[in-house]
Amino acid sequence: MLDIRDLERRWLKYKIKSYAPLGLGVAVALAVTIGAASWILSEPKGQPTTDIPPKTAPKKVPLPRSVEPAPEEKTTVLEPSMEFVQTFEQTPSTTQTAPFPEPKIPAASLPKKGASASPSLPVPPPKVLSMPDTPIHTAPAASTAKGTGRTLSINRNDSKLDIDELQKRFKETSNPNLGLFIARYYYDRGEYGEAYNYALKTNSINDKIDESWVLFAKSLVKMGKTEQAIQTLQLYVRQSNSESAKGLLESIEKGTFK
Amino acid sequence: MQPSLFAKPRDLFLDVVNARDYVQIDSVSHMYQSLKSSVEKPLKMILLYGKPGTGKSMLLHKLHYDLAKHQKVHMISTPIVDEDDFLRVLAQNIFGHAPRETMSLTRFLEIAQALSLPKVPIVLLDEAQLYSPSLMEKIRLISDARAVKFVITLHKTDKEDIIAKEHFQTRIWESIELKNATPEELKVYVQKKLLKANCFDVANMFNDKNMKLITALTRGNYRETNKLLFSLFTLYCWYEEHHPSIIQYNAIKPKWVEMAAIHTGLIRA
Repeated sequence: MLDIRDLERRWLKYKIKSYAPLGLGVAVALAVTIGAASWILSEPKGQPTTDIPPKTAPKKVPLPRSVEPAPEEKTTVLEPSMEFVQTFEQTPSTTQTAPFPEPKIPAASLPKKGASASPSLPVPPPKVLSMPDTPIHTAPAASTAKGTGRTLSINRNDSKLDIDELQKRFKETSNPNLGLFIARYYYDRGEYGEAYNYALKTNSINDKIDESWVLFAKSLVKMGKTEQAIQTLQLYVRQSNSESAKGLLESIEKGTFK
Repeated sequence: MQPSLFAKPRDLFLDVVNARDYVQIDSVSHMYQSLKSSVEKPLKMILLYGKPGTGKSMLLHKLHYDLAKHQKVHMISTPIVDEDDFLRVLAQNIFGHAPRETMSLTRFLEIAQALSLPKVPIVLLDEAQLYSPSLMEKIRLISDARAVKFVITLHKTDKEDIIAKEHFQTRIWESIELKNATPEELKVYVQKKLLKANCFDVANMFNDKNMKLITALTRGNYRETNKLLFSLFTLYCWYEEHHPSIIQYNAIKPKWVEMAAIHTGLIRA
């Protein structure tokens, strides 16, 4: 008679035994596959540094392990940043020139008065005139310089130099916008005579600039020539019907503008 | 109580060689016809050889069963090792002579010549590899004298095959080799055996997959197949009695085939 229970137990043992090599083979194959996969996955990390330098370069910089791809990384990423830092540290004064009157106007030529300024004259003036009418304000410079007195004085000197440079350029180019800019500059500083002169020069070049006529009249009032200012404004209002001129005329006549 | 469906198939595969259980398979049938035609030729000795379980004994029994109807045939299934006994048995069964004195080869040949039969009698010797070389030499002399025609079977193991070939090289006129069954032949064998006993449902349970497994386990050995199937149907009988719900009647369960193989020693577990 068959002992079925014993047979079933032996059969289970046999199956486990027969599948053991297969299981072992599968396990080995899996291990090899995983190993190969991890090796393959780890490989590409080294290659992309050469393939895609710009993206990986910033991360790779602090790691000094890869010797061969390093040159490419340095040329593309590291050198510019280093230069930037160096220039930043070396020239603190130049940074203070920039904030001055809306950097663009004389920015390139301001530090050097002489010959270097002349070649760049023809191009920048139009850009300068299109800028807001607060060029001489040292406030931005002071704020950026964070209250160091010396830097503030240097700014003023620089601005003086700048306005001289602008006057030279105005003489050469007779750009009305540049003349208006200089007139505004002097008016803001209380130099109404100079403001009057440059406003007059600007009006002679282009007599349709409201602001220049307004500035001319204001300068006259400031110089005590209110009647002349009123007459001038009346004439201009008739011609141009300018609202700003009308407003100024009324305020001068009422005595509110002094 | 309803009789078990698997009890009859189980008994069919009892390892008993019976000519009536002979199952005609194409390849074996071809061999048999070849053997039969060789027997009818005036040949002195016919060798039937093959690996264990290839059906040599069954074929010999079948031959004996068929030839006995027409002529004098004697079959010695179990080898008679003693020479005197061997010759005495032959003399008594073929010539009906049972001398009281010791039977020598000379005496045997004298009797055969004295009682010459119209047709040379046939002696079938199964498991001839168990006979001693001296007895085999005497058998050769008897066949040379045309006193008896021998059909002998030999196991074809490497060693025995060489011995047999060397010994019978110049005496054998015809040799037939039987080979192990293929899965297809084994399927035909099993199904024919079952169908012969009207076990149709069980016969249909054997599919190609089952037979491949059985052939792999038994290596196409008919005797081992019989043993395996006997154990398998014994298992089925047990499950039919204790857990009938787990029996699938559309196919043989490979697990139970393997369990039967463990039981018969075909699988070491």
